[in-house]
Order: sequence, then C-alpha cells, then structure tokens
Amino acid sequence: MKNNKAPSIRLSSGDRSLRFVAILMTVISLLLILFPFVLTISNSMKDNMKIYDVPPKLLPDPANSLQVTVDYSGFSGTPEELEAQIRDDMISTMFGVYTKMNRDSVFETKFYGTKDGKTIFYSRAHQTELQLEKDYGIYEGTVLNKKTLLYKDRAERVSKIIGYDFDLNGLDDKSAPSALQPETKSKLDTVFEKKFSLNGTLAACTLSTKNILLLESFVHYMKLPNYMYSANPTIARFGFLSFVGNTIIVIGWAIVCQVFLCSLCGFVISRLLSPKASRFVLLFFLGAQMIPFASIMLPQLIMYKDMGAYNNHAALLLPFLYPFGFYVYLFKGFFDHIPGSYFEAARLDGASNFYLYTNICMPLSKATIALIALQTFLGNWNDFFWAWLVTERQDLWTLNVALYNISNNVSTKQNALMGISLVTILPVIVIALIFSKQIKASIMSSGVKG
Amino acid sequence: MRKQAKKADSGYFFRQKLAPWLLLAIPMFFTLWLKYYPILKAIFISFFNYDPINQPGVFVGLKNYITMFQTSYYWEAWKNSFIFLFLQLIMTFFIPILQALFLNELRRMKSIVSTMYLLPALVPTTINVIVWRWVWHPDYGVANQIVKFFGGTPQTWLSDPNLVKFCIIFPGIIGGGISVLLYLAAIQNVSPDIMESASLDGCTGWKRIFYITLPNIRYIIFIQLVIAVSTAMQMLDAPYMFAAGGPSGASTTQGIFIYNSFNKDFNYGRGSAASVILMFVVMVMTMIQMHFENAEKE
Repeated sequence: MKNNKAPSIRLSSGDRSLRFVAILMTVISLLLILFPFVLTISNSMKDNMKIYDVPPKLLPDPANSLQVTVDYSGFSGTPEELEAQIRDDMISTMFGVYTKMNRDSVFETKFYGTKDGKTIFYSRAHQTELQLEKDYGIYEGTVLNKKTLLYKDRAERVSKIIGYDFDLNGLDDKSAPSALQPETKSKLDTVFEKKFSLNGTLAACTLSTKNILLLESFVHYMKLPNYMYSANPTIARFGFLSFVGNTIIVIGWAIVCQVFLCSLCGFVISRLLSPKASRFVLLFFLGAQMIPFASIMLPQLIMYKDMGAYNNHAALLLPFLYPFGFYVYLFKGFFDHIPGSYFEAARLDGASNFYLYTNICMPLSKATIALIALQTFLGNWNDFFWAWLVTERQDLWTLNVALYNISNNVSTKQNALMGISLVTILPVIVIALIFSKQIKASIMSSGVKG
Repeated sequence: MRKQAKKADSGYFFRQKLAPWLLLAIPMFFTLWLKYYPILKAIFISFFNYDPINQPGVFVGLKNYITMFQTSYYWEAWKNSFIFLFLQLIMTFFIPILQALFLNELRRMKSIVSTMYLLPALVPTTINVIVWRWVWHPDYGVANQIVKFFGGTPQTWLSDPNLVKFCIIFPGIIGGGISVLLYLAAIQNVSPDIMESASLDGCTGWKRIFYITLPNIRYIIFIQLVIAVSTAMQMLDAPYMFAAGGPSGASTTQGIFIYNSFNKDFNYGRGSAASVILMFVVMVMTMIQMHFENAEKE
C-alpha cells in the first residue's frame, strides 16, 4: 500500500525523473484547479468599473471610504424642511459620487450634516447598496442627475432604505469630522458642480482606505435576489435563503429516499430472494438507471404535467422516489458480506424480517449509508435541467436554477454574480474540508468495491 | 432443516415467499411508473402527431422518424455530439488518470493534494459556467488577454461556431474530481507483491508506470471510459448553459435537439422520436464497448 519503500536502493535515474515530473505536474494541476477560485474571489471584490478594466488585474484595488460633512448653519425654516433638504443632499452626494467618482473605488460614503457646530444628520451607504438601487431598485433604468434622483417621493423612499439619523438637538454618538483634504474637495466640487448641486455648503471631506469594505460587499450581494424578483412575495421576504431552502429540501428528500429505498431493496435482494429472482430484480433496477435523462425528459414532463406535478414541489421531489440501481447494487454488495450467522441467530430467536432490517442491517451499514448520502448529494448539487424545466415560480427555484437565471439577466453585474456564486459554494467547501478524510475514504472504498 | 419442520406452515410461506415481493412492490412500482413508463410513452408518442390537449392526436406511423432523418439539423446535432465526445476524450479524459498516477508518486503532502483534487467536484456546473463565460468574454475575458500576450488575434470564443465546442469542453482540463480518487484507490490497490518483484527485476520509474500500474488499473479506466462516452452522448446542461445550443446550432447536442423540438417547435412527436433513437444509440454503444472488453479478457 505504502509507496514502495524498498530498503533504500539508490534511486535510478528513471525514478528521479518520474518524481520530478510528478511534483511538477501536481503543482501545475493544483494551480489550474485554484485558478477559477482566484478569478471568482478577485472579481467579486472589484467594483462596478474595475471589473471591466483591460487587461484584468489579478488583485482587486483597495477600497476607499469617503466622509462628507455638509453645513446648514444659515438655514432658517421648519425642522421638516431642513430634514428634507439634508436628505436630498445626502441622496445627491451618494449617487453623485457613485456615478462621477467611479474610478476612485469609493466603497463607502458617510454623510454628515451639521448646523451651528452640532452634528444633526448622519447616514452611510455601501457602494453595492447604491448599485442595487440603480440596477433593480427605485432608480432602475434612469439616467442619474439631481432632477431624476429627487423626482416626487423617490428621495424619501431611497433614504428610508439606506437609513439615516436626524436630530435637531445634535446626535450624541456621532461627531462630524472636520478635516478637509484639498484633493478630495476638488474632486467633490466637480461632482457637485452641475448635475448634483447641494443645498448646504461642503464643510469637510476625507477619503481613506478601508479594505474591510471589500468583504462587506458580499452582505449586499446577497440582497440581489430580493431586488431582482421583488414581485414575488417569498423572494422579496427571504431572498437568497429561499433558494437555499429549496435546495436543502430537494437534496434532503433525495438522500432520505435513496437511503431508505435502496437499503430496503438491497436487503430484500441480498437476503430474502433466490439467486435467480435477485438477479432479475437487480437488473430491473439497474436497467432503469441506464435510461438517459435526455431521452425521458419529454415524456416525463408530459406525464408530470398531466398529474398536476408542474410548478410545485411535487415536480421537484417525485423524480427521487424510486431506488437508483447503482445504490441498490452497493447496498446489496454490502449486505452480502454480513456473516449469515447473525441472521440465523436472530431468526432462531423468532426475529421478523423487519427486525433483521432495522436492527441488524442498518446499524452495520453506517459507512455505506454515508457513501450513498454523499453520492446523492454530489449528484443533486449539480442537478439543473429538470428543476429548471418544471419551475416557473421563482420561490421554487433551487440554487442552480436561480444562479442560471440571475446570470442570464442583462443588468446583473459580474462582481455581484461572482459574489453570489462564491457564497453558494463556500459552505459546501468548508464542510467538505472538515470531513475530507471521511469523504475521501468513502469514495475510495466505493471505487474498490464497484 | 427448517424446511422440513415448517413446510406446511402458511406463516412460513408468507415470510419466505410473499413478504420479499411485498416489500419490493412499492419500489418496483415507482421504478416502473417513473422510469419505464416514460420511455415506453416516448416510443408511443413517436408514432403520433402528438397533441397534448386531445391526446394522443393523429397516428402517423413512422413519419416522425422519416421526416426527422431528412432534416440536416438532426444530423448536425449528432455530428456535434460526436465532436463533443471526441474533444472530451482527447482533452479531458486522461487528465484525472495522470493526476492520480503523479499523486501516487508524491512522498509528502499526499493527503492535502488529494483534498484539493476534490474541490472541482464541489463546484456545480452553473457556477463553472458563470466563471468560464467570464473567462471567454471577448472584451474583458482572460482568454483573449493570453492570446494577445502571445501575439495572436483575439477571438469571440463562445460566439464563434468553430470554437464554441472547444470552449465548452476546455474547463474540464483542470481535472480533479471524484475520478482522481477512484483511480488513486485502484493504483494503491495494485498488489504490493507485484510492485516489489517488478522493482527487483529493475522495472522502476516510468517503466513501472507503463508496464505494471497502468495495465493493473485497466479495468477502472475502462469503466470510466464507458461512463464518459455515455455522458458525452447525453450532454445537455453545459452546452445549454454556455451557449443555449448556439451559435447557429454549433453546440446543439442530442439533448438540446430534443429540448428544442418540444419547447421551441412544440413538435412532441419528433422530440420523442429523437429520444428513442438516442436511448437506442447509447445502449448499443455501451453494449459494443462491453463486448470488446469481454473479448479482450478471453
């Protein structure tokens, strides 16, 4: 088993060249395997402009945080009017910076409003929030300028989503920064010059690097389904989680069905039938497995539609309600190897078949059950076409279907798409790494048996 | 022994003869219903000018098959399927074998490396497509940057009928996945006695790989080959997600042809006819391969 640790005869030249090539090729393979992951991570951390840079950079640029203080000392009017004015300025500033300073990697805008030396207004938005609002939200399909930004009640609605604090007596926990970077000011002045003019006066502004904001993007990427499919109440409420939920339901159901049905069939074939009958039954199950999906997709769709299993959970779950031939075969192979004396002894004590199945076979076959569960998971994790064919309602989509549809939407930005993809596979990869030893052992044992 | 004692007992009859079939009844019924019935239905539909509202429509005999065989689009789909198979065999099939062989030669880090090889199996096709569509992007993709770096002319990749099949198969060259572990298990299972006697006879290094290891894992390579051929024939997800069968039908496989028949043209009869032929071809190809393997053994 161990590598031929022949009592160290000197390595021949053939051995040495082989080992050199082996190490080299393995390193190349690993780099190739990591390439898609690196590409995904780096793209998901770039912003809206930088993803289109040619040539594409490997590492994302550092993220910047912009702090803007606007002064309203000279204002005389009711507090409601003041609040509306500051709110309008906040929207103009944020979206003005978003559209005009798009090469500066401004990932975060903090907006402070001051009056007579007191900080009375504070709001903060991440760039991805603004991007979502622009691509799918209130500003979908609009050319941004002050007029469109503040049209009717838009500013009010957007500021509610972004959130802000306003208190005429001064906010205790926030104090507006007073530093002013000339460089940043000149940039902001060009922003405010024409399309995004302010009601107050620009008092202070700083631009500083804050790389943690790159990670915050992912939190907002997850809201993309909520925005995209806001017409569907379930998606609008649970968003991405409803896709995760559907995937868990489908995979969980598939695992339960396969483990139960296949072990039952394996038990009967292995222990209760004559050799001739058991061969027939096994071939019956294996034969069903041989039928290509592409061949029965059409009649299956017609059949399910006639039964009413279309565009509901039944359509997603029914295809797993029969035992997969290969897994029956694996279980049968395992049960064949349980010593007959176990069964003889139990039978003499008057044990029923049911008892033999639940109390002898199942406890002994934990490893096989784990293997079947793993195989079912991997098979379903990839499953796309059937789920895509039978679901029109968005709240039925599994992760694969949802990702495919999101990726086909023209307004989806590559960074958000890659971010969602990354969040989708990351938990699975982490779980796989934790249980890697068991997973590898079970796959390798299945290979030797099969 | 027990037979003599309890032969007349009806409880014995129930337990030994009837009970197994009762237990199997439900799984077998579901298999019949969910798998065998649809394929029989496909054969049935293929003889009709199928009308989903007034089922089954007008009986037309073999007309669906005959008109299908006369359309060049159908034969294009077969050609595409075989080109996909060919590309897969020459570009990606052998990579996991090499990775497993080289992995087995490593002295250290074997466990970490094999875990890394597991990673591609965890990435669903959808995400793979999202990533690689970005790589192949004509304006912003990495692929054209590499081509430009070596002084070539930028391509349109997935929009180019001549390159689209290559682009769809190419992501497979990263290898990895479950097959690496299966090959590795087979390699480690080669009897150490054989290895030892071979090394005493001076069969080391590359010679050992060619004359000892590879012949000994021939069986699993063959099984994987059979699986690869039958999956390539049924290819559906990847070409559909990458290019939706296009451009101008250049990535239309049999699966996509069937899908288009009923989804775009609403021609259920032709779709079923193509389904039946596809199943027949997959079965025959699998049987031929099995036959060759058996013949070689004897």
